[in-house]
Amino acid sequence: MSNQPALIKLRALKKTYTRGDESLTVLSGFDLDIPEGSFEALMGPSGSGKTTLLNIIAGLDRPTSGTLEVAGERIDSLSESALAKWRARNIGFIFQSYNLIPVLTALENVELPLLLTNLDAAERKKRAETALRVVGLEHRMGHYPKQLSGGQEQRVAIARALVNDPKLFVADEPTGDLDRQSADEILALLEKLNKEFNKTIVMVTHDPAAAERASITRRLNKGALE
Amino acid sequence: MTLTQLAAKNLLRNKFRAILTVLGVAVAILTFMLLRTVTSAWTSAADFAAKDRVVTRHKITFIMTLPKRYIEQVRQVPGVKVSSYSNWFGGKDPKHEHEFFACFATEGATFFQVYDEAQVTDAERERWMQDRRGAVVGDVLAKKMGWKVGDKVSLESGIYRGTWEFNIDAIYTSTRRSLDRSQFVFHWDYLNESAPIEMRDQIGWIVSRVNDPSRAAEIGTEIDKAFDDRDPQTLSQDERAFQASFLAMMSAVLKAIDVVSLAIMLIMMLILGNTIAMGVRERVSEYGTLRALGFLPHHIVAFILIESLLIGVSGGVLGVALSYPIVERGLGRWIEENMGSFLPYFRINPGTIGVAIALAVLLGGVAASVPAYRASKLNVIDALRRVG
Repeated sequence: MSNQPALIKLRALKKTYTRGDESLTVLSGFDLDIPEGSFEALMGPSGSGKTTLLNIIAGLDRPTSGTLEVAGERIDSLSESALAKWRARNIGFIFQSYNLIPVLTALENVELPLLLTNLDAAERKKRAETALRVVGLEHRMGHYPKQLSGGQEQRVAIARALVNDPKLFVADEPTGDLDRQSADEILALLEKLNKEFNKTIVMVTHDPAAAERASITRRLNKGALE
Repeated sequence: MTLTQLAAKNLLRNKFRAILTVLGVAVAILTFMLLRTVTSAWTSAADFAAKDRVVTRHKITFIMTLPKRYIEQVRQVPGVKVSSYSNWFGGKDPKHEHEFFACFATEGATFFQVYDEAQVTDAERERWMQDRRGAVVGDVLAKKMGWKVGDKVSLESGIYRGTWEFNIDAIYTSTRRSLDRSQFVFHWDYLNESAPIEMRDQIGWIVSRVNDPSRAAEIGTEIDKAFDDRDPQTLSQDERAFQASFLAMMSAVLKAIDVVSLAIMLIMMLILGNTIAMGVRERVSEYGTLRALGFLPHHIVAFILIESLLIGVSGGVLGVALSYPIVERGLGRWIEENMGSFLPYFRINPGTIGVAIALAVLLGGVAASVPAYRASKLNVIDALRRVG
């Protein structure tokens, strides 16, 4: 895996939050290469900077200094609107609390990112159905989030993440709200995405069992990589 | 699914709240339409005035009277076809103390010539002409008071003391809206003979029909010229201008009604704005998710704006739909029958519908503007942290 070219290149990446006269360094300035097709787990105690790092990689946050390159494109210098468009094309988000829209069915939730494309309604529906089939929820397409179990909701969220066929998936504690069995099913699904579809996955987790599924585990402590 | 459908689904997320809000907008629009209809009906009353009638009164105020001899001089003015004179009696039926109706004494011989839209049978007219105490009443008033031809009626007046006895000899209808169908008319001679000496041979106003309606104002000026060097002087106006001058006295009331109707819309806008803001606060994490997925701030503004506009338009359409049966089938007909002298045509003006719908759209747009702006400025990470 490590022989693969780096999909993500971070150089001297630093993130500092300033409030009034006080400043807090969350990421202390380090280099990191994440190879294409890898499944990486980011671990570390609370406040170590894992989620901040994940948000920067996903284009949700910006580094205070340093550079970030994803698939050869400098992300840190993009405008807000360009960054949003870049996220829509390149990132699949998987959140701890699934973040599904409660008034939309599973199919409509998965279709949501496709509204930003030029695809027609029939093609959007077809792709959303395919994504739900990949996560094994073709029989739950018309169900609303509240009619699904936590594990099923997370699978819908994964279908939503993959419907645009992004290169990179970022997952923030994807099993944090799930029981062991559901968590294992979700991790198996992420493994499938990584191995069968060659998707790069960066996952923040506190769960050692989840980290074991990753091909690489990196640890952060006080904003620095160990 | 489209962005608009997504906004519509958001609207129905809390059905009870959405229904209450739409009903609130509908009631505000309904109230606005009713108040606007009052003002437009009031001001349009002058539009129904006869174009060929000129009203002559005391120059200072129509409360003051003119000498009866003036009528002969008015009849001599070129262009005047026929003239009739009247006195306000201010009669009230002691059995129906709270029922107001126009009650005046008039010259019987000329009344139906001046008001040719008043319709009675020849037999009724003949009976009235022969009956010194005879009265002619409008069909709407007769229906309201339960009077019929042949009834004896006693009225009291705040101007002419005592109890006055009348015989209902005729009930008139009208071929045009220019004549109030709630009037009580009786012979001027009866009033004059029974009035105190100091009040005799005085008339309240003269109504003349002219040969050429387009010269009504000019003929009015000619009438006034005839009394230029006399005391009292007169003021003649065509019936429309006469009504308009009466309406002018009510302009403060009409303005107050306008202010109230706009205040209602403003209050509804604040309520709708608060409802939208509540919905936005509840969905901050969802907006964060949408932004993370690549939706732009203007998409968030569009979601909120469409939702608010849907509420505004739904409420507006419902308010307009409700106003039709209320005004056209119920209230309007009742007002026309009972307050015909002030509001002869109480119907919804098509222009009012357009204004109401436009206001409903504006209401939705303005109410959503602040919550939509704030939602579009949300920090994505902060918004995502709101997830429970």
